[in-house]
Amino acid sequence: MASLLMSHRNSRADAVPGEARGFPHHDPKAKRVIHLCLCGGVSHIDSFDYKPELAAFHGKSLQAEERPATFFNQIGLIRKNDWEFKQRGESGLWVSDLFPHLAEVADELTVIRSMVAESANHTPATFEENSGFRLNGFPVMGSWISYGLGCETDELPSYVVLPDARGLPAGGTINWSNGFLPAQHQGVAFQTKGPAIHDLFPARELSDTHERASRDLLTRINQSHLETVGSEDALRARMRSYELAAKMQLAVPMVTELNQETAATRAMYGLDDEATADFGSRCLLTRRLLEKGVRFVQLFSGGSFGSPRINWDGHEDVKENHTREAARLDQPVAALLRDLRQRGMLDDTLVLCTTEFGRTPFTQSALDQIGAGRDHNMYGFSIWMAGAGLKHGLAYGATDEIGWKAVEKPVHWYDYHATVLHLLGIDHERLTYYHNGIQRRLTNVHGEVLHDILT
Amino acid sequence: MRCFCTGERQTSKHSWRGLPTCHVCRFRSLESYATVKLCTLLACVAFAGPIVADEVTPQDFDRHIAPLIAQRCLTCHSGSEPKGKFDLSSRTTAMAGGESGVAIKPGSPEESLFWENIDSDQMPPKKPLSAAEKAHFKTWIEGGAHWGTEKIDPFRYSTDARAGSDWWSLQPLRNPQPPTTTRPGWTSNPIDAFVDSKLQAAGLAPSNEADKRTLIRRLSFDLLGLPPTPEEINKFLTDTSDVAYENLVDRVLASPHYGERWARHWLDVVRFGESNGFEYDQPRNHAWPYRNWVIDALNQDMPYDEFVRMQLAGDILQPNNFDAITATGFLVAGPHNTTLPANDKMRMSMAQDEIEDLVGIVGQTFLGLTANCARCHDHKFDPISQKEYYQLAATLTGVTHGERSVQVELSAEHQQRVVDIESELSKIRTARDAIEQAARSQILAERKDGTAALPEPPIAMTTWEFEGDLRDSVGSLTATAHGSARIEDGCLVLDGKDAWVGTQPFPVDLQEKTLEAWVQLDSLDQSGGGAISVQTLDGATFDAIVFGEREPRKWMAGSNGFVRTMPFNGTEEVDARDRAVHFAIVYHKDGSITGYRNGTLYGKSYRSGDLHTFAAEKFQVIFGLRHSPVGGNRMLAGRIQRAQLYNRALTADEVAASAGVADRNYVSSAQMLARLSPEQRAHFDTLITNIATLQTEKDALTGSQLQKLYACVSNNPGITRVLNRGDVGSPAEEVSPAGLGAVTGGSTDFGLAPNASDADRRLQLAAWVTHPDNPLFARVMLNRLWQYHFGQGMVTTPSDFGFNGGQPSHPDLLDWLAQAFRSGGYRLKPIHRLMVTSATYRQSSAPNAAAAQIDADNRLLWRKTPQRLEAEEIRDAVLVSTGQLNSAIGGVGYRDVRHFEFKGSNFYESVNETGPEALRRTIYRFSPRGGRNPFLDTFDCPDPSVTTPRRAATTTPLQALALMNNALVFTLADNFADRLQREAGETTATQVKLVYLVAYGREADQQEVQLASRFVDAHGLASFCRVILNSNEFLYVQ
Repeated sequence: MASLLMSHRNSRADAVPGEARGFPHHDPKAKRVIHLCLCGGVSHIDSFDYKPELAAFHGKSLQAEERPATFFNQIGLIRKNDWEFKQRGESGLWVSDLFPHLAEVADELTVIRSMVAESANHTPATFEENSGFRLNGFPVMGSWISYGLGCETDELPSYVVLPDARGLPAGGTINWSNGFLPAQHQGVAFQTKGPAIHDLFPARELSDTHERASRDLLTRINQSHLETVGSEDALRARMRSYELAAKMQLAVPMVTELNQETAATRAMYGLDDEATADFGSRCLLTRRLLEKGVRFVQLFSGGSFGSPRINWDGHEDVKENHTREAARLDQPVAALLRDLRQRGMLDDTLVLCTTEFGRTPFTQSALDQIGAGRDHNMYGFSIWMAGAGLKHGLAYGATDEIGWKAVEKPVHWYDYHATVLHLLGIDHERLTYYHNGIQRRLTNVHGEVLHDILT
Repeated sequence: MRCFCTGERQTSKHSWRGLPTCHVCRFRSLESYATVKLCTLLACVAFAGPIVADEVTPQDFDRHIAPLIAQRCLTCHSGSEPKGKFDLSSRTTAMAGGESGVAIKPGSPEESLFWENIDSDQMPPKKPLSAAEKAHFKTWIEGGAHWGTEKIDPFRYSTDARAGSDWWSLQPLRNPQPPTTTRPGWTSNPIDAFVDSKLQAAGLAPSNEADKRTLIRRLSFDLLGLPPTPEEINKFLTDTSDVAYENLVDRVLASPHYGERWARHWLDVVRFGESNGFEYDQPRNHAWPYRNWVIDALNQDMPYDEFVRMQLAGDILQPNNFDAITATGFLVAGPHNTTLPANDKMRMSMAQDEIEDLVGIVGQTFLGLTANCARCHDHKFDPISQKEYYQLAATLTGVTHGERSVQVELSAEHQQRVVDIESELSKIRTARDAIEQAARSQILAERKDGTAALPEPPIAMTTWEFEGDLRDSVGSLTATAHGSARIEDGCLVLDGKDAWVGTQPFPVDLQEKTLEAWVQLDSLDQSGGGAISVQTLDGATFDAIVFGEREPRKWMAGSNGFVRTMPFNGTEEVDARDRAVHFAIVYHKDGSITGYRNGTLYGKSYRSGDLHTFAAEKFQVIFGLRHSPVGGNRMLAGRIQRAQLYNRALTADEVAASAGVADRNYVSSAQMLARLSPEQRAHFDTLITNIATLQTEKDALTGSQLQKLYACVSNNPGITRVLNRGDVGSPAEEVSPAGLGAVTGGSTDFGLAPNASDADRRLQLAAWVTHPDNPLFARVMLNRLWQYHFGQGMVTTPSDFGFNGGQPSHPDLLDWLAQAFRSGGYRLKPIHRLMVTSATYRQSSAPNAAAAQIDADNRLLWRKTPQRLEAEEIRDAVLVSTGQLNSAIGGVGYRDVRHFEFKGSNFYESVNETGPEALRRTIYRFSPRGGRNPFLDTFDCPDPSVTTPRRAATTTPLQALALMNNALVFTLADNFADRLQREAGETTATQVKLVYLVAYGREADQQEVQLASRFVDAHGLASFCRVILNSNEFLYVQ
C-alpha cells in the first residue's frame, strides 16, 4: 500500500535510487545485472549437464513408468550428447565443446543443473523465467529490480533491453513489460536502426539555438504557471524531467558509440566476425551501459519460433541448430566475462544466462528411431550465473542419470529469482507492489534463496 | 496500514487493542465495520461476567466460545492441512485431537494440551489471549467442553489476519442519513454534507469554489476527455444565471464524446486488447465492436445491471441480437494462448490458467473480490473456499475465444427492399426461362427429326460418371471415398466438411490437359472448394476447378500458391445452385489457361507462365477438395454429376460439344443463344443484366447482415472438479456451478447439475452478480465512478474490497451513493451529475500547506486534487488544439502499427500515423498486446494484458523526449500554426492570444504575450506551439 501511494503521488521525475523505499534490505553483493536470455530451450545434456550414462543408453527406449509429457508428444529413442564434455579450469567444471570459449572461463561460472519449469510451452515458460508467472501482464525481473533499486544514473533508463538483430522474441514488448508497476520500469528496448531510444532526438532537424530557446521558453512558462497555481511537487518534477531528458540526449549517443573502444577490445568481443558481430556488439554495449550506471541489461539470444529456426529450438536437429546459435554468442560472452573481470566490475555485477527449459534426452521422433532433434524438457535443465557473491566454478543440483528430471536439489524459477534479488540486497518477500488483492511479488508466494551457491 | 489523514503508519493492520486513536480522523472508527463488530462482540464476551461452569450450554458455546475459536484459532487449525493435524473447526475433529494426541479432556483443563498451550501463551503464537478469553476456555472445558453447532464456519468472523463474512464490504447497503451542515453552498447536495462532516471532524475546511474557466476545463476533460473549445468557454462565461454550471453539466453529459472517455476507463479494467498475446499473438481484427458497444452503452446510459448482464450472457439472453453478442467481448477481452502442446495434461493446465484469469476478471470487475486467489487453497484473506472457486469457475468454463459470423438485423426499409428484389427477380427469371425454353424446345425438336446436328463429343482420357460407384469409365483407376462422400442418383455428393474422393496415382505423365465437371452447388456463398483437381500426392502442387475462393461466386483455375491463377473475369454464378453447371478449364502448352462455362468462354483466357508437368505415378485426381490436406476452405459442398480429364487441350468447339453431351436433352447456352433472333437476343441480354444488377444489390444488403465478431463462443463446459493444490493431475470432488457464499443477495445455489449447459450457467451467474441485494455490485461501481471524478476512490483499491483492499474514507457516503445508484435504476449519468455538481467537486485545487500537514493525500477532500492528463487525453487534446481531430464516433478505428508475420509469430511495428483515420481519438487505436505505442506507454497507458483499475501517473524523462521530439508533435504543431493563421490572422500578438485560449482555456496576460511574441518572431509560430503542447498548464487539469 505504501508503494502504491507513493507512486501515485508522482513526485519523482527520475528513478534514483529505488522508488520503493527501504532498499536494500541488506548489504548487496551485486549492484547491477546482465541477463542473457536464450530463447527456445538450450539442451542442457549437450552443454553443461554431463551425463556419461547417456552413451550407454544411446538407441534404447526410455524405461519409465510414466509417459513423458512433451510438447509434440513424440517420444523417440535416447540419444547421447552430440558434443564431448571435458572438465575445465581449476574447478574442473564440466562444459561441453558446444561452448569452447565459455569453457575457458569456466572458473567464473556457477551452474545450476537442477532447474525445473512449470510449462513446456515456450511463451508461458519464458514468462515464468522472466516474471515468475505463466500469463501475460506480470512485471518482469528487470522491472522489479528497477522498481526496487532504481538507476545509478539519471541519464539512462534503469532497465535496457537489447533484442537479437534477427528479430524480437515472440510476443515482442510483452517480454519486458512493467505489468502493473509504474511505466518507468518498463524495459527500454534499444532500436537496432536510428537512435537507440525512441524519440531521443527531434523528428526534425533543429539548430541548437532554436532548441535551447524552446527549452528556455518552456521553463519560463512553467515557472510562471507554478507561481500562479502554487507549489506542487508534480509540476516541479515534470520540469526536472525535461532537464533529465536533455542529459539523456547527450548520454545515449556517447554510450552507444562502440568505435570509442580499442581495436583489440572490439576483436575480443567478435565485432569483426560476421557470426559474432551482433551478439558481440550487444555484449560490448552492455558493459558500457553498466559503466554508466544502468541497473539491468537484458540481451536476447534468438527471436520468435517457426522455421527456419532463429533461436535454440532444436526440434529438427540439435547439432545443426545449437552449433549455429552457440557460435553467435560463445566468444562474445566469454569476452564480456573476461572484460568485466579485468575491469574489476565482475565483483559487483551479476551475470545471468538462462533458457526457458531444456531438451529431452530422448529424441523427437518415432518410437523406434534415434532422431536428430530433441523436444522441450521442463523437468530438468541448466542455467548459469557468474559474478558477484557467487561460488565460482560450481555445479549445483543434479538431474537423473540421463538428464531427464532434476532429482537433487531441484530449483524453481522463484528460487532463482529469490537468489538474484538476495544478491542485490533485496529480501524477495519484501519487494512487493499492491495489485488487486495481493501484495504482489516476483516470487509469488514461493522462493528459497540458494545459500549453497553464495559466498 | 496508514491513518487516513496523517498518513502515519500503524504497526498492525487490524490491531484493535491498544491502538492509538488519531485525534484528527478518528482512525479507529474508520478502521472497518468488522473491527467495530469484533470489538462489540468481545466486549460482550468480556463484560458479561464470568460464566459459571455448569452454565456452559451448547447455546453458550455458539455464542461465546465458537467466535473465539473462529477468530483466534481457525486460521491455522482448519482446512485441508490444519497445523499439527489439529482441526478445531468441528466437534469431531477437535475432540479427536492432533499429532500430539487428544487435546481437550472435558472437565479437566489441567489434562488438556489445548488449555496448557493457551495458558502458557504458546497459542495463539503471535498474540496470546487475554485473561478474560483464557478464562472462558477454561470454564468451558471445566464445564464438560460441550459443543454447540457441529461445524464452526472458519469464514464466519473477521480476524486480525483475514476477512470473514462479517467484513464491511459484504454487509448489506445501509441507509445512512446525510449529516446536517450549515456551510454556505454545501447544504443542497448530500455529498457535500457527508464530506463536510468528515472535514470538520478533522479540523479541516474545504477550499473555495474554483473559477469558471477552471471548472469548464476540469469538467470537459473529466467527462469527455477533451478540452473545451473557446466557443464553449465563452458560452459558459457569459451565462450569468444561477444554474449556468448545471446547464453546462447537462450539455457535456449529452455529448457523444462522453461515451468515448468513460469507455476507456472500462476497457482498462477489463484489459481489452486486440491480439491473443503469448507466442503467436495473432491480431483480433474483429474485436473492435466490443469497444464501440461500451461507448454506445455509456452514451445511452444503459443501466449498469443491464450493462453487466449483457457482458456476461448477452449471447444467451438475446441470441439474435448483434449488440448483445458483441457485449460478450468482455469474456474474451484478455490474452489467449493458441500455442497448444500435443500433451493433454499440458493443455489442461494451460486451460486452468486461463480460467483463473477469467474468474479473476469477473470477480474483481463486478464484485471487487479476488476469487482467483482460491484456486490452489482456500483464499488466504477473504471468505472464499477453494471449492467455491471451482464452483464459480464452473460458471465460466463454457466460455471460449473465437471469431463468430453474426447476423446483423436488417432495417425495416432494407428488409422490404430485399422482398421487393426477390419478387422482381422471380418475374425476370420467369421471362428469361420462357425465352430459353422456347429456343431449347425448338432445338430438341429439331434433334429428334435429325435436322439439328449433334456435335460429336471429344474422347476423354478418363471419365467418371458416378453411376453406382466411383470407377472411371475409360481407364481402370481405383478411387476411394473419404469422409461422408457418397454416390446418390448418379451424383457424387460432397458435404463441404470432410467429403472427398481421391484416385490412385496416374501411370502416365500429364502436361497439356483439360479438366471438366458438371457441378451443382449447395450454396453460391461457399468459398474455395475444388470440384476436380489434379494434384501431386502430397497436395503441394495442383491445378483445380475452384469456386468462389478469391472472388465470391466466380470460378477460377486454382493452383498451388496461386502461381497459375488469375481472374478469368467471368460472370458471377447464379444458376449452379438450381441446376448443374458444366465448367471446363483448358491448360494449353504455351501456359495459357481458358475457362468455359456451359460450353461458352468464361471471361477471358490468360497466360500464366509455364505449364506444369505432373509426373507419372506422382499425381492423382481428387474431387470435392481443392488440394490435400482435408479441411479449411478447401472443401466443396454440392454434387458432381460427371467429370472428365483429357491429356490434351480441347478447342472451344470441343468443349461446347462436350458440354452438350452430358445429357441428350442438354442444350448449351451457346446453342441456345445462337437460335435467338436479334430482337430476342437483345431482350434476353437485358434480362440477364437486370438479374445481375438486382442480385448484386440483394447480396450487398444480405451480405452486410453477416459481420465477423470476436466474442464469446459458447461451448460444452463439461464437468468441473476441485483440483487439489490447483493441479490438473490431482482432481477431487465434482462441483456444480454456483456463486460465492460470502456475497449476500441472490442465492449462491444456482440449482444446476454439474453437467448443466453453458447457457444455464452464465444466465445464473449474471443474475447472481446483478442481484439487487448484492451490496458489492453497487458499491464497487459507485466507487469506480468516484475515483475517476476525484482522482482516488473512497476505497483506493477499486477492484479489491476484501481484506487486502483499502477501507472506505467515507463509508456512509459510499453507502448513501450506492443506494442512490441502485434506486435510480443503476443509471450512471444521474450519479455523474450528482458528483460533478457537488461543491466538493467544484473546489479550487490550490495547495494548502496546513491542510496537507493533516491529510497529505487529500483523502478527506479539502481541495480538488490536480490531475495530469492521461495518455489518451494528451494525444486527443493535442489533436483538438491543433484543429486536427477527426471526431467521428465508432467504426473500426485506426492502426499505428505495421502488422507482419514472422516465423509463425505476429509482430506489430510502430509506424507514424497518417491520413484522417489516424487523427481519430486514441480510444480507436488498434491495440495489440505485442504492439504497444511507445508514446502512449510512456504516459502510463496500461499494458492491455493486465487489468488496470487505477492508472499510475508517473513523470519521466522519456515522456519529455516523446512530447518534444515525436514526429506527430511536429506535424501537429504545424497544423496548430496553420489554424492560428487562419483564425487569428497574421498579427503575432493575436495568434499568441488564441494559443492561450485554445490550449489553456484562458486569456494571456500582457507579459505572456510579449514573451511569446519575441519567441515567435525569432523561431516561428509552430515552434511556439510545440512548447505550449509541452507545458505543464496544458498537461494538467486543476
